Amino acid sequence: MSSSGIVFSIIAICAILGGLMMITLKKVMHMTVAMILTYFSIAALYVLLTAEFVAVAQVLVYSGGITILMVFGIMLTYHKAENRDEEKVSSFRKLITFLSVATLGIVSYFLVAPVDFVAEEIFVGDHTKAIGEILYTNYIIPFELVSILLLVALIGAVLLAKKDKEEANE
Amino acid sequence: MMNEIMTSQPSWLNVLKFTGLGVALILVVILFVTYAILAERKVMAFMQMRPGPNRIGGKLGILQTLADVLKLLLKENITPKSADKLLFLVAPVIAFAPAFMVMAVIPFSENVTFANLNVGVLYYVGISGLSIIGIVAAGWASNNKYSLLGGMRAAAQMISYEIPLVLSLLGVILLTGSMNLNDIIKAQDNVWYIFTQPIAFVIFFIAAIAELNRGPFDLVEAESELVGGFSTEYTGFRWAIFMLAEYFYLFAMSSLITVLFLGGWQPVMFLGFIPGSVWFALKFLFVVFLFLWIRFTFPRIRADQLMELGWKVLLPLALANVFITAIIKEIFFR
Repeated sequence: MSSSGIVFSIIAICAILGGLMMITLKKVMHMTVAMILTYFSIAALYVLLTAEFVAVAQVLVYSGGITILMVFGIMLTYHKAENRDEEKVSSFRKLITFLSVATLGIVSYFLVAPVDFVAEEIFVGDHTKAIGEILYTNYIIPFELVSILLLVALIGAVLLAKKDKEEANE
Repeated sequence: MMNEIMTSQPSWLNVLKFTGLGVALILVVILFVTYAILAERKVMAFMQMRPGPNRIGGKLGILQTLADVLKLLLKENITPKSADKLLFLVAPVIAFAPAFMVMAVIPFSENVTFANLNVGVLYYVGISGLSIIGIVAAGWASNNKYSLLGGMRAAAQMISYEIPLVLSLLGVILLTGSMNLNDIIKAQDNVWYIFTQPIAFVIFFIAAIAELNRGPFDLVEAESELVGGFSTEYTGFRWAIFMLAEYFYLFAMSSLITVLFLGGWQPVMFLGFIPGSVWFALKFLFVVFLFLWIRFTFPRIRADQLMELGWKVLLPLALANVFITAIIKEIFFR
């Protein structure tokens, strides 16, 4: 295995580990910390592909996102529920779950295995500039649509928050 | 020197070299932290007309911080009984690791840059945002209401001030046409950006103080209302790690301001015979002093004033600055 293959394996295992921890851990805060591992590993994968701008944007967006998720997790979840004992699950149900997960794994393996991934040449140069040029020429309409969508969401959030305040005053 | 190593064939010798350089940098920064703490106390003492630390290491108290660190190392590490043990241990690590990672992109002189990234500015902002996760986690894991309040305030403050911080940077990036910190320094060959982007500098400086959680924006650890903020339950060396992260960020942020607005290692006119690293050090120390000066002369502002300043003043100003810069660039610098 080449050195980049070894690095890729380590990063990929970290990403999957983070995802597994996210769904198996019991406490909200532990889950969010596990998410950092996944998102950070994905950013590392982008670095491996020399896509530095995408990697840094990934970290920038998700570090803020996870912080907000943590705050909501603290404020909006019922913490006593975290300590309850595990529910009893019948062994029949466990078997069914295992079989369906195994089937999914086998099916997706046979779907992916015949696909021939052509190793495309990795773009070397200023990624930021290249992305900007493509975004503002070929994809200008989707870009504008996304910005309108985000603006609508922003205004909607402000309106919702404002309504609550007025009600509180009354 | 770094470029040679970066482009050479990977080998075990290179692993050693990288480790050695990393350790050298961390030692330099720790030395800075040791004397930044002393400087902070001495400047504070001077402004409050008292002598300050003057017992250990002569009248200047040169060994005071070393004695403090020794005390912290010898202290007992207490984990509260009802704390979340795992997260309580991991949180200082999450808070500290990004503080050192951001140093990699900063060009300290013509030849000393650890990583010449094309997205250097964005890398700094992105990685430094990770620290806040450690602070919120610490606040929650301590299972103490003051800690939790401190952590929540840290999150709110980060969200409010990161946006003006990044937007004020856009003016500089627009004028340079690159996010590479080395290119930004080279673009300041004739005029520093503090003169062409004065509004961006002021916004960036205010937002930087808030990001560093220093006075007058130190609501995260406001001792008169929150005991010790997110680090209330931390003792001994774990607490020291948080403080270390804070001063590492002081180092990194001062370096970044030097690079972005004060021309980095570029000399002042007619004084080119003084080496670049000396210029960098001088400008850097001036920025550090500004941070200390502001901390001890302004009273702490209220939480709601903090939010209003961030969202209602700094954000529109930063947006206007981006707009004006774009127009000026289109008209005069095409």
